[in-house]
Amino acid sequence: MKTKKIDYGRWLLVLPALIVVGTLLVYPIFSSLYYSLTTKHLIKATYDFIGFDNYIKVLTDPDFFKAFLTSILWTVASLLGQIVVGFTAALALNRVNHLKGVYRILMIIPWAFPSIVIALAWKWILNGVSGFLPNLLYEMGVASELPQFLSDSSLVFGTLIFINIWFGAPMIMVNVLSALQTIPQDQYEAAQIDGASKLQQFMYITVPHIKVVVGLLVVLRTIWVFNNFDIIYLITGGGPANATTTVPIYAYNMGWGTKLLGRSSAVTVLLLAFLLIVCFIYFKIIGKWEKEDK
Amino acid sequence: MSGKLKGKLGNVVCHLYLIILSVIAAFPLLWVLLCSVKSSGDLTSNPTSILPKEFTLGHFKNVIDTLGFTRNIGNSLIIAFFTTVIAIAISSLAAYGIVRFFPKFGNIMSRALVTTYMFPPILLAIPYTLVMAKLGLTNTRVGLVIVYLSFSVPYAVWMLIGFFKTVPIGIEEAARVDGANKMVTFVRIVLPLVAPGIVATAIYTFINAWNEFLYSLILINSTELMTVSVALRSLQGAEILDWGSMMAASTLVVIPSVVFFMFIQKYIAGGMTEGSVK
Repeated sequence: MKTKKIDYGRWLLVLPALIVVGTLLVYPIFSSLYYSLTTKHLIKATYDFIGFDNYIKVLTDPDFFKAFLTSILWTVASLLGQIVVGFTAALALNRVNHLKGVYRILMIIPWAFPSIVIALAWKWILNGVSGFLPNLLYEMGVASELPQFLSDSSLVFGTLIFINIWFGAPMIMVNVLSALQTIPQDQYEAAQIDGASKLQQFMYITVPHIKVVVGLLVVLRTIWVFNNFDIIYLITGGGPANATTTVPIYAYNMGWGTKLLGRSSAVTVLLLAFLLIVCFIYFKIIGKWEKEDK
Repeated sequence: MSGKLKGKLGNVVCHLYLIILSVIAAFPLLWVLLCSVKSSGDLTSNPTSILPKEFTLGHFKNVIDTLGFTRNIGNSLIIAFFTTVIAIAISSLAAYGIVRFFPKFGNIMSRALVTTYMFPPILLAIPYTLVMAKLGLTNTRVGLVIVYLSFSVPYAVWMLIGFFKTVPIGIEEAARVDGANKMVTFVRIVLPLVAPGIVATAIYTFINAWNEFLYSLILINSTELMTVSVALRSLQGAEILDWGSMMAASTLVVIPSVVFFMFIQKYIAGGMTEGSVK
């Protein structure tokens, strides 16, 4: 009798959260799957069931493939940059004795930025007429004319990736730093006595200790960057001439520009399917690491 | 000797590197703040001078008096506040439940929560648009609060699990031996112990709701109900780009986020990965 009461109570605790997850996350997935098989329109009330027609249309659209490639490039380049900067910053921060707190506070500022302010701040700094950086480079003689970071198609993608590294590196830094601090110091001391070089210490003590945490971070960041809509949409809107259109922006234009919600659903379902595959592979690798540790 | 010298040199290199990174990280915030008080003429004719030639609050006046930005701030405050209160209530119960009463199933539940992180917001945006229209909640603050629970609840549960795990079960058992029931134990014993964690999670939830853009773009279309993100974006669509006002409005939006974030950053460290590793 008593155990039954407890059982009932514990479900009551998690029930509200389960309802949120069920109605706001699980249901919409199935709803999108359903609409992806229809001609659902943003405004028109009626729609027809058309099977896999939307998927065929999307998968034969060269613009979709271009957006997909752009997404991959955007994710890989941003992530590599974020990891290199975040990781090296964490190592440097872990080493210095003075001003640690000041550096840390200053370096995590970007993390708190709303995406619209990221966009406006950088658009103003990089503005092709009165922006700080183009004018500075011009005055210093580095550039012979004002560089157009956001409208020159050869510069814009790199600029966006730089901005994304600026935004995302602090998160990597903070998490790597807290993982570094869990490594027992005596291991380094013991290694030093044994005559291990700094590089050997890094490879055989540091890396194994933080591998799993960094792995998880990479998974979370991959998902986030791949799904990110705000930064690119607000800075370039996918332009110039679709040069920075990623899959989320392609889906948005399809759903709210052309108003073809059904086809847009198909795009987002493909996006989710791709992420599921990527994460499955990641988790396999991390699972292997975790086993090795034990 | 050379080892010591090398160590010193290494330190100098580290400091230099950290200084460069700090400057790049902090510069946009500094620039937004400085430009919000520069005169329009100063902004266009002296693009590389750091300090304002003359100090003006004209842009702030324009943003608040002419553009009515306080209304947008009010909307965002209300939406972020209710999102936070509801999300934290739901999430602390769930996190506590998962940690204490689902020893085996709990891990699966928290894994499932992480999976929801994978769902593209742009995918969810389509059903949200359709359902909210059906329920008559398009263009309402209530609708937006409901939608915001979709990302704030999983994330808050995730973070709170980490905090609840730090409460030793012995304390609760002792309280129960003394005759306190489950509810009393939770409210009087457990909650005070994780209070800092809950506050940190609440602030983080608030910042994320305050910063949100996509759902607000899709679900709100009247100027009166716009959140700060969307209102700020609409300034960009103006015929004459008024960068001074945009910087002033940006200041009003970014300062609360940054200031609150500074208070909780210590708690956030590791919070993202902690829920799963242990």
